[in-house]
Amino acid sequence: MRKIKNVSTYVILSIVSLISVFPLYWMISAATNNSTDILGGRLIFGTNLMNNLTNLLEQQNVGRAFGNSLMFSTILSVLSLVVCSIAGYGFEIYHDRAKDRLMGILLLAMMVPFAATLIPLFKMFTDLNLQSTWIAYVLPTISTPFLIMLFRQSARSFPKDIIEAARIDGLSEIRIFATIFVPTMKSTYAAAMTVTFMNAWNNYLWPKVIMMSEKSQTMPMLVTNLSVGYSIDYGVLMLGVLICSLPTGILFLVLQKSFANGIVGAVKG
Amino acid sequence: MKKKIVALLVSAVMTLSLLACGGGKETSGDSGDDSSKGQELTVWCWDAFNVDAMKKAGEIYTAKNPDVKINVVETVSADIQTLVQTYAMSNNLDALPDIFLMDDQVFAKYLQNYPEVFAELTNSGIPFSDFASAKVANSVRDGKNYGVPYDSNTVIACYRTDYLSEAGYTIKDLTDITWDQFITIGEDVLAKTGMPMLTNVQGEPDLLNMILQSAGISVFDEKGNISLVNNDGLVEAMNVYMELVEKGILQEQTDWSGYQGSINNGNVVGTINGSWICATIMSTDQAEQEGNWAVTNMPKLNDYPGATNYSAQGGSTWAIASSCDNYDLAVDFFKETWASSTEFYDSILTSLGAIATYLPAASSDAYNEVSAYFGNEAIYSKIVSFGGKIPTINKGIYWSEEKEALGVALANVMSGKLDLETAIKEAQSTVEFNIGM
Repeated sequence: MRKIKNVSTYVILSIVSLISVFPLYWMISAATNNSTDILGGRLIFGTNLMNNLTNLLEQQNVGRAFGNSLMFSTILSVLSLVVCSIAGYGFEIYHDRAKDRLMGILLLAMMVPFAATLIPLFKMFTDLNLQSTWIAYVLPTISTPFLIMLFRQSARSFPKDIIEAARIDGLSEIRIFATIFVPTMKSTYAAAMTVTFMNAWNNYLWPKVIMMSEKSQTMPMLVTNLSVGYSIDYGVLMLGVLICSLPTGILFLVLQKSFANGIVGAVKG
Repeated sequence: MKKKIVALLVSAVMTLSLLACGGGKETSGDSGDDSSKGQELTVWCWDAFNVDAMKKAGEIYTAKNPDVKINVVETVSADIQTLVQTYAMSNNLDALPDIFLMDDQVFAKYLQNYPEVFAELTNSGIPFSDFASAKVANSVRDGKNYGVPYDSNTVIACYRTDYLSEAGYTIKDLTDITWDQFITIGEDVLAKTGMPMLTNVQGEPDLLNMILQSAGISVFDEKGNISLVNNDGLVEAMNVYMELVEKGILQEQTDWSGYQGSINNGNVVGTINGSWICATIMSTDQAEQEGNWAVTNMPKLNDYPGATNYSAQGGSTWAIASSCDNYDLAVDFFKETWASSTEFYDSILTSLGAIATYLPAASSDAYNEVSAYFGNEAIYSKIVSFGGKIPTINKGIYWSEEKEALGVALANVMSGKLDLETAIKEAQSTVEFNIGM
């Protein structure tokens, strides 16, 4: 009976994973085919990769866009992790009624769509003459209610006894955070990093509005340029998409293990 | 090992951040530097087709004026609209480029809603009478000009002559006909070759709008209000469209890629669209299609009064931003290229297939040259001659809203969800709601 259950679980899981992996496979195989073959529904790998690459490099400044995306996303994710983890830690460890209420308000802010704040934000940044700078790119999304909540939740599971013990040993609050909390929360950081980096990398509307210089074009903008037109070269487009999705894919693979590792660290009696 | 990886990652990140600080400052320095901007015109437009045409104009201009730089930045049409709106609403017009391209379907709407964005060109010296008048009218408000017309939106019907002859027809049988005649031929071709005559993107009422304009049917009244209900012409046009789909003569595709694919892979006999579709048709690498295409006019709406075989679809117009520091330079650039140089129009026609609305260009030799791809016929002069016969209709400023609502109405009727009358009523109230009437 159990065996049958197992088999059916595997069958269902295999089908579901096939369905979710298929678009990725198609993206990769399409990058090696020409437009006509892709539109004709060819699924196997072709020989047009180099041709697509030459066309892509000819049409678009991929190096610049890739470098910009990598730079902006890295700065944004690192700063965001620092700010939000401190905030989340603070909300939990030093919590009182007022802070809990503030947290509630923060969570409400999650419901405000970005488009609604676009124009006031844009006005603020241009008034400060910050348009087309990396500060303008990262600042609006540096602290997100979601990340703060994530760190607050993980700080909740963090044993308070350790903090008490450290305080008795004379460690300052900052050092407790930096030397005890941070190392034990690696998996949370890894998860947060993946989510933040992905969001930062895929960010489109705000960068498009605030980064006015062509020099600050990012990968999603480049892919958009490829995907619109009277005659779209789907081979080139899919290669662009492939290149665009590489960094988030690699980051996920690198940090994947940390998800599973769970929270390291234990309290000794 | 793990620690090392983490350490490596952290140091990489820090180096990058440091680099970024330097890079960031550099960018901000650039945008604040006005001295270099003095002789540069920044242009926004979308698609390699438009980008290359603008670059060509830039080359011609800079050859005579070496100290001027034309900087073309590829920006998709939807983004140009978003950015114009954002910058206008936040009173920050300086962020706009000197020149930008705008889709004809939304030009009038933006001109009405954000007039402060557009620089007036009436007395700039650009000879507007040299452009097709129906096209110029699109960028005129209160008798003043705000745009330089660009590509032609003349509707053409393109068919594969090899498929037609397989079924015993020639391109002549499809010229100057009505939709009823077209449906008869289409059924026959479908039976003999298994090919649908036409292809279209599902939920996009482009073809419907082309039929409407070809018969001079307006969906807006004289005051610019939407009038879909009690519009006999609309009902007749929708019935034609539905008959085409029901009989399998028109194959609907899920999106543009399906549409492009059906043409490029030879799965359909032809398509009806703006003349810019020639670029799409020629973008296939299937050699057997070369020489097997022919261009003619579209079918007309049977015995509807005022029905013709000519219509318009798509197209775009250049605008100079009111914030442009170099207004005189921008105007001079247009006067020297887009509004005077037939040499320029010849070159974008031959290299890109870009058909203009600049009338003097039509008499040049390039327009009378035959196209090997289209069965050795002088299709360009043919398209220009079609252009003069398009009925003018009352277009109003809310095309895109109307287009969207009609698309939904079509989909609802086709799927059997609503009957025609209810769907049209619903479309009317949707448009009224969206434009805040």
